[in-house]
Amino acid sequence: MALPKRIIKETERLVAEPVPGIQAIPHDDNLRYFDVSIHGPAQSPYEGGVFKLELFLPEDYPMTPPKIRFLTKIYHPNIDRLGRICLDVLKANWSPALQIRTILLSIQALLGAPNPDDPLANDVAQRWKEDEPGAIATAREWTQTHATP
Amino acid sequence: MSPSRSSRNSLQSVDLRALDYLTSPSANLLCPICHAPLITPVQTRCLHTFCSACISLSLERSSTCPVDRKPLNHDDVTPAPIMIANLVNDLVVLCPNREKGCTTSCARWLVESHIREDCEYATVKCAKEGCDGMVERREAEGECVHEEVECAFCEGAVRKLDVELHYKECPKLSSDCRHCSKSFPNPELAAHKLICPDEIIDCAASHFGCSFSSRRSELDEHLSHCHFVALTPILQLHTERIETLELENKAIRQKLDLLVPPRPLPTQLSGATSSAANDSSSGRDMTSEMQDYTYHLYSEYEQLRSDVERLNAQIRELDVKQDMARFNEGLRYNDEMTGVRAAINGLRMQLHWLVASRREAGTGGAGAGGARSVAGSSASGDGRRMSVDSVRQVVKL
Repeated sequence: MALPKRIIKETERLVAEPVPGIQAIPHDDNLRYFDVSIHGPAQSPYEGGVFKLELFLPEDYPMTPPKIRFLTKIYHPNIDRLGRICLDVLKANWSPALQIRTILLSIQALLGAPNPDDPLANDVAQRWKEDEPGAIATAREWTQTHATP
Repeated sequence: MSPSRSSRNSLQSVDLRALDYLTSPSANLLCPICHAPLITPVQTRCLHTFCSACISLSLERSSTCPVDRKPLNHDDVTPAPIMIANLVNDLVVLCPNREKGCTTSCARWLVESHIREDCEYATVKCAKEGCDGMVERREAEGECVHEEVECAFCEGAVRKLDVELHYKECPKLSSDCRHCSKSFPNPELAAHKLICPDEIIDCAASHFGCSFSSRRSELDEHLSHCHFVALTPILQLHTERIETLELENKAIRQKLDLLVPPRPLPTQLSGATSSAANDSSSGRDMTSEMQDYTYHLYSEYEQLRSDVERLNAQIRELDVKQDMARFNEGLRYNDEMTGVRAAINGLRMQLHWLVASRREAGTGGAGAGGARSVAGSSASGDGRRMSVDSVRQVVKL
């Protein structure tokens, strides 16, 4: 099936005017599949890290949200060990007026503002609530070991 | 325009959403869903504008406005003001047959009729009666290219359209081999290429590192003394073993991933994913599906494990709580016991005192004589009253 014009436009814009700290490059053999890297936001435990993600646009995108997963290991209450992300706009709150660019920005914002009250990784969230400084230290450590190029 | 032409309308359909525009249109005229200039614009109750088709599709999935998430259903969607429709319909687009050579550009509302009636590059039905073939309009007036003609060489029947293709495989036509300059009939040329003695080919062990290449006819001599060729069986064996070991290693690593909580290093993980990504897209779909399933099971298992851990912790907590409660209760009873014991002790002491005082009173009365016995008895009665009062005092204390 031909690639919808919207995906072509979005891809062109992502490459021509990239969002600061975010990079998304489509695969040559499958233009619905993107290699994404997100820089950890400043003043967060993820600062200095570069996190790799994979993004796939399903057949009925933009009516259904893109599928996104962290490939880099990350210590975060809303991201589980398989890299899956708990973010409302990726699930029930998806709207076809959103786009790759806005979703990646939301993920970057999620790194800057973890939400342990809506956890995906239970153990991490619990630690975040009981011992926040300790959890932040672990997140920083993981960023050092796994996300520093 | 001749009547015969206008009667041949093109059936080629135009996808308005795929059109290219002469100048990039204002962002205000783009549909928030398809990002193309609005097609049949409609307006919602919350005053947002979409293509009619886009918002219908969106409402099938979610009864909210895609822009502000306000509740919305099909009844809240009405046609947008005519002015908006006119603005987008007047945008100048390039002909969809641009790649075939059409240089026309026109207002968008005219593009369908351009394709249907004018475009020289649109596909139309062949002019010849009874022919079902399709041609570009500019060729429709000429002779039919779908009728069969006789090949000038092999006398077989070929469609005019396919003559060029046919020449490449016509048995009566010959071409020269690039390497040995001998002439062969076209169909045999491919077979000859595999055995041409003059073609320069690489040594059979080139993938093991031999850099020798020569004409095919001279290669046999090299093969007889090439060290790489001599080693080929053992090298082959090694390659195969490495491949099996790699496969085994991969399987074991996958098993390990499932059994041991810490995940493999992300470099390995991303390596694996990128190698998976190098497969063809259908292959990736399959593997990613499998991976998704494995991940699903894995996460399920993880969740159950953490559930069990949590329950364990809860049970332990309850145990501790109960112990504490029991201990506290015990303490309370102990206190009460001590209190009761103290009270009993007090009573015992008073009893002693009473007994002692009675005894004292008894001995004093015997010494005073019978005449005083009445007074003595009344005195002892006073004494008893006194002692009862003092007992009361002690109890009060």
